[in-house]
Amino acid sequence: MKLVYQGAEADVYSGEWSGQRAVFKFRKALPYRLPELDRVIRSQRTAHEAELLHESKKAGIRNPTLYYVSAPESLIVMEEVIGPRLKTVLESGDAKTKAVSEAFGNVVGRLHASGIMHGDLTTSNVIVNGDGVNLIDFGLAVRSTKLEDHAVDLRLIKETLIGAHSTVASAVMKAFLEGYAGVVGEARAKQVSKKLAEIERRGRYARVE
Amino acid sequence: MLLFRQGEGFIDNLSPTSLQTLSAVRERSENRTFVKGDLCILGIESTAHTFSVSLVSEKRGLLSDVRNIYVPPEGQGIHPTEASNHHAAVASKVIAEATSSAGASLGEVDGVAYAMGPGLGPCLRVGAVSARTLSLALSKPLVPVNHAIGHIELGCMLTGAKTPLVLLISGGHTMVVSCSSGMWRVLGETLDLTLGQLLDQLGRHFGFASPCGRRIEEAASKSSRYLPLPYTVKGNDVSFSGLLTASKRLVDAGEPFEDVCFSVQETAFATTVEVTERALAFTGNKEVMVVGGVAANKRLAQMLGIMAQRHSAEFHVVPLKYSGDCGAQIAWTGLLEYKAGHTIAVEDAGIRQSWRLDTVPLPWRSGA
Repeated sequence: MKLVYQGAEADVYSGEWSGQRAVFKFRKALPYRLPELDRVIRSQRTAHEAELLHESKKAGIRNPTLYYVSAPESLIVMEEVIGPRLKTVLESGDAKTKAVSEAFGNVVGRLHASGIMHGDLTTSNVIVNGDGVNLIDFGLAVRSTKLEDHAVDLRLIKETLIGAHSTVASAVMKAFLEGYAGVVGEARAKQVSKKLAEIERRGRYARVE
Repeated sequence: MLLFRQGEGFIDNLSPTSLQTLSAVRERSENRTFVKGDLCILGIESTAHTFSVSLVSEKRGLLSDVRNIYVPPEGQGIHPTEASNHHAAVASKVIAEATSSAGASLGEVDGVAYAMGPGLGPCLRVGAVSARTLSLALSKPLVPVNHAIGHIELGCMLTGAKTPLVLLISGGHTMVVSCSSGMWRVLGETLDLTLGQLLDQLGRHFGFASPCGRRIEEAASKSSRYLPLPYTVKGNDVSFSGLLTASKRLVDAGEPFEDVCFSVQETAFATTVEVTERALAFTGNKEVMVVGGVAANKRLAQMLGIMAQRHSAEFHVVPLKYSGDCGAQIAWTGLLEYKAGHTIAVEDAGIRQSWRLDTVPLPWRSGA
């Protein structure tokens, strides 16, 4: 097996599973965290990720197919999705940016409409695959239809765009919201955006002067 | 001319990573004589409980850093009006001490920098009034400085970090920032309380006066019994309000003080380090730096160090002496701002209580 990605909480290896190309996502013990706390978080997130990965697939979200899961080992084996991460696409200044951003909004809309919050929608957790996008990394996902939770998802997208893709941030966000509203409806999209603004105002020193 | 005061030296309480850079600063500082053509900035910090004034020079580094800190009564936090009364009472004395211990006179000052925000309004106003007065009296330009940028830029200067991923943690901030296109951009932050507020509010529940970080750290070091507490990570953001409520309940239920402190530190720090790690994995930065008052906590620095090592990133901790609020952060950043031409007229030199750091353009970082 080959290490393909070292994330914050998991190492991802590529290998084979029953003759299929697969990725092995292994949540390693984080040595800075108290072991008893660490064990609980890793096994909880692993079980959770597998559950919601599967559930969102049923809702029509493109994401890796689950092959095997073991909470005690903190291991998930799943389909390998081929394609660049959205982060790379945005950094390369690809001409498809608008279409991809809209597709991204679309898929997040579908996820929310099916009552799931992803919880970690940074541009490195989105894989661009042909003309569609795949969502990966459901470790922080929760079942929720709450406005607040859906807005928190959008807040992270916005934060990541401004923080890491500042030059294209507003264009991507605009296309994203169009795609999002296309699925959840204009009224709901407006409500979520309003909630997002409220969460931002709650932040430190965020009052508009 | 007065000599550089040894007591204000830079060698006490240093982290090993910073020793080399600091000794360079120190060497520069020992060259006390006034250098013609050197740029000298006086900086005033007054965002919260600390009133501090510092002089820095372009060629000689930090020349002085004098502080006078408002301490609230036991069990209480900072009362803004009382803190500002304290600041007003000590302002002229602190300015005079900062000048004399730098071995300088006010006549050598080329610009007056002050913390314009963010912070407590009444406290900020004392700094702003002092700065405007000095500026008029000396006929020197005013330089507004963002307090948070001050923590970061001073940290970079003292540790030698160039464009690190920064964890800024204090009573006012809990933020993970990284520089791109000439601005510090926020990659993650707290959605409610700051880490400093969490520790202070828990401490006050025990009857301590703010800041309580050190007493909580001491108590925590005496325990290893972990009581489960809410671990809240939302994407790249953290939230501490649920953790605060739950930990107060543990106290009220009679759990030992040390165990609660230990459990709160382990939980809150782990979430903070986790979001820092998420940001680091995302940006691929090769340097991590922690600044702000809570950077003084050894357990947190240890956790961050382990995390940085996992990603082969250099790890820098701001020297303990400069982790808390100080004039040096304002004077040093004021010098960078002055050189970039960011001066303002006296009539525009107000305060900005809610001045976020991700709105401040930094010409000296435009290459990053």
